[in-house]
Amino acid sequence: MRIKPCGVAVLVMAAVAAPVLAHHAFSAEFDASKPIKLRGTVTKMEWINPHAWVHVDVKKPDGTVESWMIEGGTPNTLLRRGFTKNSLLHGTEIIVEGYQAKDGSLKGNGRDLTFTDGRKLFMGSSGTGAPKDGKDPTETKR
Amino acid sequence: MRLPVLASIFVILSGAAAGQTPKAAPRKATPPRTEWGAPDLRGVWDFSTLTPMERPQQLAGKEVLSEGEVAAFEKQALEAIDLDRRDGGPLIDRERAYNRFWWDYGTKVVGTRRTSLIVDPPDGKIPPLAPEGQKRASGPRQRPVRERLLIGAAPDGPEDMGLSERCILGFNAGPPLVPTAAYNNNVQIFQTPLHVALLNEMIHDARIVPLDGRPHLPSAMRQWLGDARGRWQGDTLVVESTNFTDQTGFSGSVLGRGGAGENLRLVERFTRLDADTLRYEFTVEDPTIWTRPWSASIPMKKTEGPIFEYACHEGNYSMFNILTGVRAAERAAEQAARKGAK
Repeated sequence: MRIKPCGVAVLVMAAVAAPVLAHHAFSAEFDASKPIKLRGTVTKMEWINPHAWVHVDVKKPDGTVESWMIEGGTPNTLLRRGFTKNSLLHGTEIIVEGYQAKDGSLKGNGRDLTFTDGRKLFMGSSGTGAPKDGKDPTETKR
Repeated sequence: MRLPVLASIFVILSGAAAGQTPKAAPRKATPPRTEWGAPDLRGVWDFSTLTPMERPQQLAGKEVLSEGEVAAFEKQALEAIDLDRRDGGPLIDRERAYNRFWWDYGTKVVGTRRTSLIVDPPDGKIPPLAPEGQKRASGPRQRPVRERLLIGAAPDGPEDMGLSERCILGFNAGPPLVPTAAYNNNVQIFQTPLHVALLNEMIHDARIVPLDGRPHLPSAMRQWLGDARGRWQGDTLVVESTNFTDQTGFSGSVLGRGGAGENLRLVERFTRLDADTLRYEFTVEDPTIWTRPWSASIPMKKTEGPIFEYACHEGNYSMFNILTGVRAAERAAEQAARKGAK
């Protein structure tokens, strides 16, 4: 879809003005200088508010296992969309990209949660009007 | 009440305020009624929208989008606030927090196509702060902190953190209700002949509003959510709240204009327009904080329930993590200082 340039400039700024607030500032909890990328198996999902937590066991090259806790958003949104406690089962292999907790513990925010084939967990970004990052194979090309 | 001011604005905004002026457009349908004959406001209502509270500077003077502009505005607004994008660099990427599928913000602008939810003042902006409001907004951090943790602040304990981070007040729950959060923009209304209960999904507070004409609490009694009294004005439920505290985390402060004060008088109006639409309007008067009253109009859409329990305090691991993060940073600084001293 083509949009006239003047409209773009004006409307983008308008969009930026729309607030998107979560329960807390992530800058207070996670360290932007400590990006993480983990591949592991889900051992538990805590469907709790204000933020859900996914527990993931990550096997390191030396064979030892690290148990990580990954912060997500409110489960209310997922419940409303029909997801249940069975939607992310124990043993599911996932990839987590995010940032580690400032206290140095094995916690991170689940900035980007995908299955190992690249599909996003729960529902992809398809249909949200979001720009496509190519990570979700179910996204329609445009 | 400042109806003359409001009315003059509503006349300009065709269709924005049916029922407020004699020239209002006719309603599409007779609103449903309860078994006892009152307008029926019951149900779960979704107040999410892409329309911002305040009119963006770039749209100054433009009150309403044309029909042709709506699609472009919505598309670009969704792109700008999309949380799956990874193009912001680490600082922004981290603040985008988690995937889009967790979020539940609005995807459409309001039906009137207005460029701000604020309808008065006419410029669609929260009015300037009064001197006392400026003082409070710029002064030293107060306890309890009204809103979110300041970037770079180092809390000693939970009391230094924002009311929403402490799960005391919601960042969209007000009162008044404002769609400034990216999820849980839902309210469930319960009704009896003598009471209305407003259950907000965020932070999970219910406001119980008596309709029996009883007076407000004595002025010495102050409450986080104020003290609400309701009455019917025609088919509109009018809820007037006073007895707020000067610590209230009124959502206006999220917009960067300071908190509301102990002199806040809030008037909310709920009007069922048709089966699927509840018009929610509010007027904020607090001469201690703002130089003039201001008003907003937000359409709420009927949605399927239930409201889910937010139970924010029970699982608030983030509070622990933020505090341990600050302590870890302090230890690191101390160690660095000792090393430097050697």
